[in-house]
Amino acid sequence: MTYTENDNGTYVVFVPEGKFNLVTAPLMKDRIDELLKDGKANVVVDLHAVDFIDSSGLGALIGGLKGARQQGGDLRIADAADQVRAVLKLTNLDRILTPFATVEEATNGW
Amino acid sequence: MADKKSLSLGQAEAEARGNLPQSNRYNHVVRLAQAIFGMPIAALNLIGNEAQYTISAVGFPLGSIPVEESVCRITVQHEGVMEVSDLREDDRFAGISAVVKTPKIRYYAGVPVKGQSGQYIGALCVIDLAPRKLGKQQLEMLSDLGALLERELATQEEMDLAGRVQQHMVPSEPPAINGVEIAGRVQPAREAGGDYLDWFVVEPVVNNVTQPPRLEIVLGDVMGKGLAASLIASEVRAVLRGHSQYTDVGDAVARTSTTARRDLEANARFTTLWVAQLDPATGHMDYVDAGHGLAMIVSERGSRRLFQNYLPLGMPIDDDWIMASDVMEEDELLLVCSDGVFDVLDDDFNKVEKHLKYVLDPALSCQEIVDMIVAFAVQNGASDDVTAMAVRRTGETAKS
Repeated sequence: MTYTENDNGTYVVFVPEGKFNLVTAPLMKDRIDELLKDGKANVVVDLHAVDFIDSSGLGALIGGLKGARQQGGDLRIADAADQVRAVLKLTNLDRILTPFATVEEATNGW
Repeated sequence: MADKKSLSLGQAEAEARGNLPQSNRYNHVVRLAQAIFGMPIAALNLIGNEAQYTISAVGFPLGSIPVEESVCRITVQHEGVMEVSDLREDDRFAGISAVVKTPKIRYYAGVPVKGQSGQYIGALCVIDLAPRKLGKQQLEMLSDLGALLERELATQEEMDLAGRVQQHMVPSEPPAINGVEIAGRVQPAREAGGDYLDWFVVEPVVNNVTQPPRLEIVLGDVMGKGLAASLIASEVRAVLRGHSQYTDVGDAVARTSTTARRDLEANARFTTLWVAQLDPATGHMDYVDAGHGLAMIVSERGSRRLFQNYLPLGMPIDDDWIMASDVMEEDELLLVCSDGVFDVLDDDFNKVEKHLKYVLDPALSCQEIVDMIVAFAVQNGASDDVTAMAVRRTGETAKS
């Protein structure tokens, strides 16, 4: 998996691709942690290109969310595919990691 | 030279390891040896009492041969690399079948490798079909590769042992309560994993009154895989077992969250849990679903999921985990599995429904049902830990 990162000044958009799992998720999580250290605490993860997420992928998102909120920011997810939505719903994590339809909706108010 | 007693320790370890299902973690070092020395054969051989076990090789079949047909049997008796320029010219080896018959090996260099016992248990060797001699630097390189394999063997041993400890934590005996049949199986993606299941009989004391015995049924899934996840799984299992003796199932999960929170947070892990207490006499069941979602009661009449809207344990915010109740009829089957099973069905409950008919045959035992489910997930390329549990009431009178 690769991901792209786009910092527009107000928030940073991550776009991971492919499988978001034990191997790939920590790479992006480490980068999010770096950004948090620099005080960039508003993060959107655009999941449209992720076709599979596992518990480690969820863990990375939750970890990022926790870090962002501790800094007064937020981590939001957008445009998740069916499998990702199904897993979020199954684990009830959609309660704290609301899936937004688009990046625009997710960043509303920032 | 090793003395007789210590050699037999090494032999015992080699026997034990040679007879285990083999990991492929040694292959890259063996392939490296073959490529570096450009010889047709490279192998890792373990030397047991009566057999040599080839557990990783290029150009040589895996499996065992009688130990007297082995060259490595001599290598393990000495420190350092053993080189034989021409096996045909050496009385110890001139008559062994690999020299006399195909592949008619001529050259041998091998380095002994130690096991956990500290004794030599086998050798990494490279073999040629023509006589030759390696230079000093090359022999040192072979020695280095041997040291690398020793570390791999030690790591594998640790992983295997951890996996066995975790398997032993899965109950293997039927529970000491009448009226219920239960079976479960955990198939970790690696030697150990974050999936765990448990069952045990509880007689909780609620408001100073001891309740009638019930069967507690647990399936948990710690985020991630491997040894690290299994350590957390062990903690959650133990904490939940403790709390379950003193309170109802919802409160036990909430207390487990409180007790384990520090360790879950420190390791940035979370765990799903599905926990129930079943009274086999009446079928009454209290359950809590902490973000697990994969429990259902099925019968010819249809199926119903036993799920709740609670979060897994280890999340940034706390939850209530108040138990819900259901009644399981005698012709119904309770199935609980991990997402390793759900993933191969594309995380789609419609697909789950379609497969339920295969497990509804009343002639199948609970053990056969869980074996079918695990085999199905593995055959369909499950990449995660896979766990399944099946429970049924048998209609016998429960112990009072």
